[in-house]
Amino acid sequence: MNCTEYRRSILADPRDANPGLRLHRDACDDCSGYTERLLRFESRLERALRVNAPADADARVVPLRARTARTSNRALRMRRGWLAMAASVLIIVVVAGSLWLAAPHPSLAADVVAHMAGEPQAWARTDVPVPPSELAQVLRDSRMRLNPDAGMVSYARSCPFRGHQVPHLVVQTEMGPVTVMVLVHESVGKPVPFDEEGYRGVILPVAGHGSLAVLARGHTADLNAVTHIAARVQGAIVWTG
Amino acid sequence: MNDQVGGNPKRARFQALCQSLRPDLLRFAFWLSRDLALAEDVVQETMLRAWKAQDSLLNEAAAKPWFLTIIRREYARSFERKRLATVDVDELIAREEPMLAAAQDQDLAELRAALFKLPEEYREPLVLQVLMGYSTAEIAAELELSNAAVLTRLFRGRKQLRTMCGEDTRLDPEE
Repeated sequence: MNCTEYRRSILADPRDANPGLRLHRDACDDCSGYTERLLRFESRLERALRVNAPADADARVVPLRARTARTSNRALRMRRGWLAMAASVLIIVVVAGSLWLAAPHPSLAADVVAHMAGEPQAWARTDVPVPPSELAQVLRDSRMRLNPDAGMVSYARSCPFRGHQVPHLVVQTEMGPVTVMVLVHESVGKPVPFDEEGYRGVILPVAGHGSLAVLARGHTADLNAVTHIAARVQGAIVWTG
Repeated sequence: MNDQVGGNPKRARFQALCQSLRPDLLRFAFWLSRDLALAEDVVQETMLRAWKAQDSLLNEAAAKPWFLTIIRREYARSFERKRLATVDVDELIAREEPMLAAAQDQDLAELRAALFKLPEEYREPLVLQVLMGYSTAEIAAELELSNAAVLTRLFRGRKQLRTMCGEDTRLDPEE
């Protein structure tokens, strides 16, 4: 197999596990680099396709909904337009007020920080990576993989968090060990920086996959550097489901 | 979706199945039609048809491809009924901006806009492969194409998309 054949194949199917493709990739630095870049693009493509599907309170199947009432959603939508507009204004006011009052993000950050106390050994500086099979096992339940771009993962456990098992990773970075928690069941609307109990970090929204908490130890940790690392880790995640 | 299933287990199971699949079905219909309102109509009609034909679904594990096939037919029907006029893609993108927008990630929004511009013959197999996890053979069966034709469309689709997104395509092979 030559480079053109290889690239043609993986452009058609970047996840093709054909052994012939793997052999060529392992032997060719150009194609190996090309594949890494393509997989990053593929990860973005997958996220782009996973648009937020709006919930529809009217979505029912017959005969829960009378056949005679099968006016198209479009017509119903127009008829209810004015009412919806008025309701929207009210909802925006109520939701904005509720968000301001409830301020849920700090509590999520607090829970992440609280979780750190249970696994202090995870913060060790080391150059020993966690075995790939062990890492894959931890990530599998969250339907994800991690490209090497994320950095060396020295700790990987599946931990209970708010009623779900979530991946708890430690990545060795230029600023020392950084903890990553993949919170597919927890959504935030925007990046939430935090500085609590001796930890500084950020919770990033991940479209269609909840959020990602990334934090470093110490009040002097550079939050910009943590945010940069968080973006790098996020870019290295490949969602598989 | 408030369910008034009234103790009918068959109906309740079907309703639960629809609820669990609806987000992916809606995404598929959206990328097929590039029109959220139409996608919602198509998915709703698909569920109605699926309910009536549920006896033909022998294995719930195969429900997703079964629904997707119905969606494709239903979308084709809506196309025939309404004889949809040729549309300006930029207008479509502007109209669906709320769905295409990606908070904190302008690249993602641009990629979605590029997907809107990708011809349907390339967009559909890409969506089936990347979003729905279909293999080449499964896409070929769904679209009634040969495996080779599917691979060609996927290759061209990705290549066009990468070009539209400003990716470095110097190492991409030629046709």
